[in-house]
Amino acid sequence: MTEPAPEPTGPVLEKTGARLHPLTPFVKGWGYFAVAAVALVNNEGLRSNLEIAGLGLIAVLIGGILLGALSWWFTKWQLTDDAIRVDSGFLFRRTRIIRFDRIQAIDVAQPLLARMLGMAELRMDVAGGGKSDGKLSYFKYAEAGDLRRILLVRAKGEQGAQQQEQEQEREPEALLVVPTNRLLGATLLSSTVVASAGALIWLIVATMVFDFHIGLFAGLPLLLGVVSPIWKQVVGNHGFTLSQTEHGLRTKRGLFDVQRQTIPPGRVQGLLITEPIIWRLLGWARVELDIAGVAGKEDGEDKLEGAQLLPVGERGEVNAVLSRVLPGFHLDAIELQRAPERAKWLRPIGWRYLAYGADEQVFVTTSGWISRSTSIVLHHKTQSVRLAQGPIQRRLNLADVHIDTPVGPTNAVARHRSAEEAAWLTQAQAHQARQARQAIESTRPDQS
Amino acid sequence: MDDLFAPSDVSWTPVSPQLASVRRVSAAITAGVFGIAALLALGLTLGWLYGVLGLVVIAAVFGWSWVLIGRNQRSWKYAEREDELMVSHGIMFRQLVVVPYGRMQFVDVAAGPLERAFGISTVELHTATPATDAKIPGLHPDEAARLRDRLSALGQSQAWGL
Repeated sequence: MTEPAPEPTGPVLEKTGARLHPLTPFVKGWGYFAVAAVALVNNEGLRSNLEIAGLGLIAVLIGGILLGALSWWFTKWQLTDDAIRVDSGFLFRRTRIIRFDRIQAIDVAQPLLARMLGMAELRMDVAGGGKSDGKLSYFKYAEAGDLRRILLVRAKGEQGAQQQEQEQEREPEALLVVPTNRLLGATLLSSTVVASAGALIWLIVATMVFDFHIGLFAGLPLLLGVVSPIWKQVVGNHGFTLSQTEHGLRTKRGLFDVQRQTIPPGRVQGLLITEPIIWRLLGWARVELDIAGVAGKEDGEDKLEGAQLLPVGERGEVNAVLSRVLPGFHLDAIELQRAPERAKWLRPIGWRYLAYGADEQVFVTTSGWISRSTSIVLHHKTQSVRLAQGPIQRRLNLADVHIDTPVGPTNAVARHRSAEEAAWLTQAQAHQARQARQAIESTRPDQS
Repeated sequence: MDDLFAPSDVSWTPVSPQLASVRRVSAAITAGVFGIAALLALGLTLGWLYGVLGLVVIAAVFGWSWVLIGRNQRSWKYAEREDELMVSHGIMFRQLVVVPYGRMQFVDVAAGPLERAFGISTVELHTATPATDAKIPGLHPDEAARLRDRLSALGQSQAWGL
């Protein structure tokens, strides 16, 4: 198993209906046990009666192991002529067939616990599929490597596989690396962490001074509010590296679980620049991207998060990154139109920061005074343009213009414009979107 | 002022007045259920005078919604431009949606039992984002079918991709 398989169809992996690594349920389900244990220990009624708590814990443990074992037993994978087939589920049988020709890239990933046990999961990038669609976990590390090679050969042919292999090996030159201390500093100064930490300190003081009984249990979510963003940012974005490859920009991040993502240039729909209030004093900003087929399809909490383009960067870096994604684009060159002063009846402070601007490539809106966000959407990605007006807005002769782009963090709304201007803008944007689309199509006729 | 939400350079098609009928019938059903509930609940607990009072209040609300439904129905209109579909509606909260045909992912034609009884249906245009709210209720089934075919044909020929 250690030497590279000479033939693409290694006999070891050709067996039908192979099972995954027997420790899979343990690696997948340890969080479940941890949560169950914490829940049981924290439960007031059970805490006073340790016997019941112990029995409950054992019951949960046995139940969990049983469920995990069952799901492991019924999960089988096999390679067919043109696809990899995974059968799973013991109550509801499920068969997933991933055709080789739909596989775009395959990564071998090792989350922390799996790495300690020498296991790995296979992540297949499937065209048009979500993140979880192409996951197969867990294998022995060597086995995963072999399987990856076999799948690559089947998917891309011998040559393509080698090419991809080389690409993986050859780390492209880094355009930009985000230093860890800045990542840590930026997270500590972000609004959620500052707010949670403030509340936590207040709670601790209140507990000590006024002898409150809510104590640490109320503090738990707050503590989570402090720790989880730090963990997510510092560990998840550790060593964030942006580099340019022939397929587009490529990001690499993560301390334990290295994540790579390629951003094909034609699939960017919009950008979101966020500047929380403290960051603004330091000149820092975060840049996120809307990519077709990425946002909104992933499961869980990442649902509305687009691709990170820059977790935290200085102004110069932000501009450099922006001009990489949108050639010839300078944010400072766009003339922003402020909202009229009467918008202060609806936004007493924030109205000063409501603005929009446009050039022949993009439409830009800014909003927010605590955390300022700048949305940039591409004209030729515009799905629809909406003009909307509520009853108070009508009294003030104001209206909103929404530029709808596919699901993602970017939300370009020119709020509280004078109604005539908004009506004009709606038509102008519809026109602009049409023009931009025609221009794109004439230069890239093959783009679908 | 009205022109802002309905530019006059295109011809706007109103929707069928049957839309108002459907909504009035469904409002009447709701009001009837609530009215009887209020009559019985208040009548049996506080006295029949209060029950009747509750009924009157609900009847008044229903009368008001009768008028609002009529105004709202008259506000719905749509226009087919060369490259875009435009839908305008609303009295209190007004909205104008401009959707390029090429952005269309699929078209839905739907009609509930009440809508079918009054001979109308709803056409909804879906793009890659749920934010696009391009729905036209109260269309005659023939018109709905025509619009559906026309939209799919235009969507196909002008498809922009993502």
